[in-house]
Amino acid sequence: MDEKKHLGQKELNERVKHARLCTGCGACVNLCPYQRAYEDKVLAIFPCDLDVGRCYAFCPRTPVDLEALRGLLFDPQDLTPEVGAVKGFYVTRSRNTKERSRAQHGGTVTALMSLALKEGIIDTAVMADRGGTFLPEAVTENDSRKVAMHGKSSFVVSPNVAEFNRLAKGSSEKIGAVATPCQALAYAKMRMKPIPERDNNIDKLKLVVGLFCGWALSWERLMDLLAAKTELAAITGLDIPPSRYQAMHIYTTNGTIEVPIDEVNRCIRGACHYCFDMTAEFSDISVGSARLSEGWEEARGWNQVIVRTDLGLELVELARKKRRLEFREVPEGNLQRLKAASLNKKGMALKNLKLRTHSQDDLIYLNKEDPAFKNLIKGG
Amino acid sequence: MSNLLDTNEGAHYLYMGNDAIVRGALEGGVSVAAGYPGTPSSEIIEQLARISDRRSLYVEWATNEKIATEIAAAASFAGLRSICTMKQNGVHVASDFLLHLTGTGVRGGMVVVVCEDPGALSSQNEADARYFAKMLEVPLLEPGDFQEAKDMMKWALELSEELKTFVIFRSVTRMSHASGNVVIGELPENEPRAYFQYKGPLLDFLTGPMVTGPGVVAYARTVQQGRLKRAVSLFEQSRFNIYAGPERPELLIITSSACYLYSKEAIHTLNLGDRVGLLKLGTTWPLPEGLVRKHLAAAQKVLVVEEPQDFMEENIKILAADAAGEVGVKTFYGKKSGHVPTSGELNPDIIMNTLKGILGIQYEPVPQEYATKAFQSMFKSPGRELTFCPGCPHRASFLSLHNALALDNRDGFVCGDVGCYGIGVLPAGFSTVKTNFSMGSGLGLATGFGKLTKFGMNQPVVAVCGDSTFFHAVMPALVDAVHHQSDVTLVVLDNSGTAMTGFQPHPGLAVDAMGETAPSIDIEAVCRAIGADVASSDPFDVERTEKTLLGMLKKKGAKVVILRQICALSPEKRGKKKYQMSVREDVCIGENCGCNRMCTRILRCPGIYWDTARKVSRIDEVICAGCGVCASVCPSGAIQKAEVA
Ligand SMILES: Cc1cc2nc3c(=O)[nH]c(=O)nc-3n(C[C@H](O)[C@H](O)[C@H](O)COP(=O)(O)OP(=O)(O)OC[C@H]3O[C@@H](n4cnc5c(N)ncnc54)[C@H](O)[C@@H]3O)c2cc1C
Ligand code: SF4
Ligand code: SF4
Repeated sequence: MDEKKHLGQKELNERVKHARLCTGCGACVNLCPYQRAYEDKVLAIFPCDLDVGRCYAFCPRTPVDLEALRGLLFDPQDLTPEVGAVKGFYVTRSRNTKERSRAQHGGTVTALMSLALKEGIIDTAVMADRGGTFLPEAVTENDSRKVAMHGKSSFVVSPNVAEFNRLAKGSSEKIGAVATPCQALAYAKMRMKPIPERDNNIDKLKLVVGLFCGWALSWERLMDLLAAKTELAAITGLDIPPSRYQAMHIYTTNGTIEVPIDEVNRCIRGACHYCFDMTAEFSDISVGSARLSEGWEEARGWNQVIVRTDLGLELVELARKKRRLEFREVPEGNLQRLKAASLNKKGMALKNLKLRTHSQDDLIYLNKEDPAFKNLIKGG
Repeated sequence: MSNLLDTNEGAHYLYMGNDAIVRGALEGGVSVAAGYPGTPSSEIIEQLARISDRRSLYVEWATNEKIATEIAAAASFAGLRSICTMKQNGVHVASDFLLHLTGTGVRGGMVVVVCEDPGALSSQNEADARYFAKMLEVPLLEPGDFQEAKDMMKWALELSEELKTFVIFRSVTRMSHASGNVVIGELPENEPRAYFQYKGPLLDFLTGPMVTGPGVVAYARTVQQGRLKRAVSLFEQSRFNIYAGPERPELLIITSSACYLYSKEAIHTLNLGDRVGLLKLGTTWPLPEGLVRKHLAAAQKVLVVEEPQDFMEENIKILAADAAGEVGVKTFYGKKSGHVPTSGELNPDIIMNTLKGILGIQYEPVPQEYATKAFQSMFKSPGRELTFCPGCPHRASFLSLHNALALDNRDGFVCGDVGCYGIGVLPAGFSTVKTNFSMGSGLGLATGFGKLTKFGMNQPVVAVCGDSTFFHAVMPALVDAVHHQSDVTLVVLDNSGTAMTGFQPHPGLAVDAMGETAPSIDIEAVCRAIGADVASSDPFDVERTEKTLLGMLKKKGAKVVILRQICALSPEKRGKKKYQMSVREDVCIGENCGCNRMCTRILRCPGIYWDTARKVSRIDEVICAGCGVCASVCPSGAIQKAEVA
């Protein structure tokens, strides 16, 4: 596969959309009038005949030299093959209980974005609201006090990068984004400026806070599943505790409903089966749920945090200093367990890609020589 | 001022065919005229409406052709003379009523004026309405020139009143829309009183109730057939059937209508006056049998020239077979033999070719060199693509429809209808329209599609119709859709007028054909009353329209979206720009990634063009209508709109 060559919308459609690899990240949207996001789908509403397009170049599911990206964004010393760059690994939560009550886990993401806005590191934050019908909506926020209103995870993909593309054309100068791993990869590809004469004002992107992500769900299938379990109006939140719990939790006004993980698996967005990244490796800071010996009830109020860049480290330390984040000791072996889970996702992605191509060598958008995959490939 | 009301008997005027028809109707004492717009018939009602204040006339644009015939029949029942007008396919709409009207006959003279469009220059069909005359058993008259158009129209009203049956008067585009010299006749000073007599006995259609029903059909048909027999005897003497040529021609041409003009010209150009005889019939059903027999007997070869179908040819062949003993066996040329094209419009060149073939003449109608040049230039001249006018609200409506269906992503489609919006099938309408049939059938079909969910069909179905079409034939389909809970979205493209045929008012407007204020029927209220879920939007607000459509596509049941914006060509808007448009060259991204010519490659309004030299889009000041839609699709904000004070 020729990784240097950039192609256009036609190839994007053939190789990503029609191949059902589209993550719905929104990176190809709001660059032009032809690529549009609707519900949790991204669609080409009119054909474009350009040979070289940003849509193709930015898409996280078109081939790219990941090593070059890592070289651009991270200190080589920090790189690990399992979870990408690690400058620091923490267990944290917001010190603000109100913030926590509105957050998915410990509210670390909320606290960090709020702080970044307050300190002027960014002037606009791109996040996702869950929306009344579990269809997330990309939102922008300029007010540090209001960040908490956009807390909690939406397990359906939100075309957040499209919102960045839109914002970057406007008056915002310093943009911070909360991103799933595919979105973080799209931002990283943009930062490479693959089409130098026409970038998308990517220099306005100042901060990427990544979310750990096992997979996202297809909106239609999720709605069917939820509707079968309870009144939609009664649902206050959803969560997927670490894999050993083997269940999705639906929090409702009448208590928690546990849905066996097999039922949830049937709702996974197809494209996620081909995703290699669990920890949002191309972010400044990545945040996920915590594992604690006290069990899930305690752990769900905390986050595990990987700091990857100098900027990330600065922000986390500022949060410590300004008493925005509370830190607790990282339990023994937590990073190892995270690495194992991450490797597991990589392995599954590679296996599924090989099943798709019926070839050991063709990994569609990935390169089998990449240090993150080399060992896994050898392993089978 | 129009000279249609001139009382200067004997004066010569240059009349368009439809004006000649109007003058003929006036000379024939018409009191009531109703029609439904349709090219090439529309000017007749328009002209009558224009002069309705200076003459005792009632003129209306009816909701559809069937109602137009009913309006005319009511006048006739009340003793007045009346006409109703329509284009060829309109007769199909009206035919149910007309069929029943032959059961009672009429009282005051009533003429159904049908203007046909052979070659379908502005139609979706090439229907030949002459067959109705035979099917319905009523007389059919066809003028062969402009003078005849006037004279024959007057006579048609008299004939109808005399025979007590309505008469079909048929014109064609080249007759209705061309102009010729007409000597005008007397304009009667009539002030007839309308009164409907019904006190007489049943089955006395002159004084009794006008009703037909089981048990009386055979009687009624016998009466009607008797009227036709009388028509034949009148037609034998008619001055509208004329013959020119030698006593025993080598070839006899039998023709009618505009084909008479073509044949005459062909004979003249080929200088065949002493070899070819030309029998022009004005009364084409029932045939003047004696007259036709006489001419058949005089020639061995017979060519029938007519358009679009072989109506006369068949009838003449039947007549010839019946009279074979008397007239001998003939060799017929025409559509059956392949000497005359079986579709499309005819012209003198075609007839010349036909004559050359039959008579073995060498003649090049057009010098070869010229023909070659003309042929070549056809390919050189930039062919104008069929598209919506600049500023047309339909362009914006179809863009939103396209986008909504594309985003909805379930292979949705649009059932089109008859009107400008038929262009929706082409790239100019973003190729959204996938079916297009007769008036009102867009929603009828869509309603049918919308019931196929039980067979696994989940493609969203949209029907579009114009405001005039809504009243014409869509309302019954909407009742069907609501009552049967079909999953369908009707989009009413409300441009406040019957735009395609020239802005005739319709029931949705607060004015009638005669220019008087009339209560307007609110489409939105009608749809709500029928029980549909209704929303409306301004199609120029592209974002909101798309959102509204997307929302409706998701909903179950029958929904209506009214997209309201006045037609760019309407008298209120014409020449008045809302915005002064301009393109900022420094901002236009043009062919680059990020735009790739959205305005000139996709939207394709004729008011904006691609400057290939400078590689930017530009506004064509002369063509641009100033609607501002291109500015709302431009991704870079290069297209600027400034409100015109
Ligand atoms: C699809 C998905 C799958 C996930 N899978 C895992 C997993 O397997 N393991 C794990 O440890 N953690 C997973 N997470 C992350 C986890 O749910 C929490 O978001 C994370 O722990 C941060 O918690 P918090 O309390 O700091 O979040 P909060 O303070 O509540 O902040 C969450 C932030 O994320 C934004 N957001 C919500 N949904 C989305 C979305 N779909 N796309 C982009 N931004 C969004 C919100 O606007 C908010 O700013 C997943 C998250 C998502 C969205
Ligand atoms: S304009 Fe650029 S981003 Fe848009 S479809 Fe074409 S190549 Fe892709
Ligand atoms: S993965 Fe993202 S960039 Fe690629 S096609 Fe899908 S939405 Fe567009």
